[in-house]
Amino acid sequence: MLRLEPAELEPDVVLAAGGDTEAFERLYRRHVAKVSALARWLIGDTDVDDAVQEVFVRVWQKLGTFAGHSAFGTWLHRVAVNALLRRRQTLGRNRARFTEDELALEAAPAPAQHPELRLAIERAVATLPAGARQVFVLHDMEGYKHEEIANLLQIDPGTSRSQLHRARLLLRKVLAP
Amino acid sequence: MSHQWTDRLSAYFDHDLDPTERARVAAHLTECAECRRVLEDLGRITTAARAYQGEPPAKDGWPGLLRAIEADRVVALPVRPVAGRGLGWRHLIAAGLVMAAAGLGGGWYWFGRSGEAPPVVAAAPASAGALVVGLTSAAYDNAVAELQRTLAENRGQLDTATVRSVEQSLLIIDQAIAEARAAIQRDPANGYLNGRIAANMRTKLSLLRIATRAVIPEA
Repeated sequence: MLRLEPAELEPDVVLAAGGDTEAFERLYRRHVAKVSALARWLIGDTDVDDAVQEVFVRVWQKLGTFAGHSAFGTWLHRVAVNALLRRRQTLGRNRARFTEDELALEAAPAPAQHPELRLAIERAVATLPAGARQVFVLHDMEGYKHEEIANLLQIDPGTSRSQLHRARLLLRKVLAP
Repeated sequence: MSHQWTDRLSAYFDHDLDPTERARVAAHLTECAECRRVLEDLGRITTAARAYQGEPPAKDGWPGLLRAIEADRVVALPVRPVAGRGLGWRHLIAAGLVMAAAGLGGGWYWFGRSGEAPPVVAAAPASAGALVVGLTSAAYDNAVAELQRTLAENRGQLDTATVRSVEQSLLIIDQAIAEARAAIQRDPANGYLNGRIAANMRTKLSLLRIATRAVIPEA
């Protein structure tokens, strides 16, 4: 029995790929919160609105290439990450400080008082040093492998591993009860 | 607990250690409560991180985005790639022709059960340009009808969830077309509505093509 990926058949995706802006608005509203968070984490707070708009324009342009092999959200996030990292490169912020102060662990803020870990995540991730933050977001939030991260950020896979470890320990220090 | 172990917990958590090293860390974990706590925390943090869906932005970015994509649409409307394992030339030509004939389509048929005559869902309105593009309209109808016939004949190869999804999507698209057609009866010169009908006709063809390709890859 054959089964098509539901993503291939999602009406809003199909309609938007055919040029329906109302369907695309529904997709935008469904995904904008996460894309905005990705933009804040990967390029910083300064031009998030422009970056998010650029991401969705890119998604609109590339909708015709979405083949439904993965969930639409997963595909969209990949497009977003590529667009955001390219923007970062263009803005000259590439190669974030991967050798940031080793004292960062010691300087981490006090544990979060928020009872809901999920709600404290965005604030806590924002406190991470840029290099550790990017690797954590790509690996633990977006599911990239170290080799892919190394390629995207133009760093060594070993650096990606050590930055991930550092990010997790910093977050533990901030979030652990 | 020492840094010697802590430094390996992340890699252990990710199954990123060779078997010997993994066994050593596992053995240490059986006797170190602190390392077990760190490991549990790593699990909680990564689970929360994956589940995080973000907060909507304070400012609604849709109006600006709509302006940007409308400007972009003037340059290029997104089109599903049709080369390779897509439809045969007959279908592609039909689809290409109909895109030039915005809003002038023929009958709309349901993806019916094998052997059943597909019922008409919505009929095309008469149009001043119908005679000029009559052949195009007929070619499109033929392409849609042929795809639907193929799907109906091979319906048994698709699972029920897929059939339901295809039918639901076709229904939504047909409704969108029917609504645009009803609106254009009241405002025949409306270019936007003509564009919507053309886009939805193309979407319907794309959806049928995807579903057909699933049952007959060489179609």
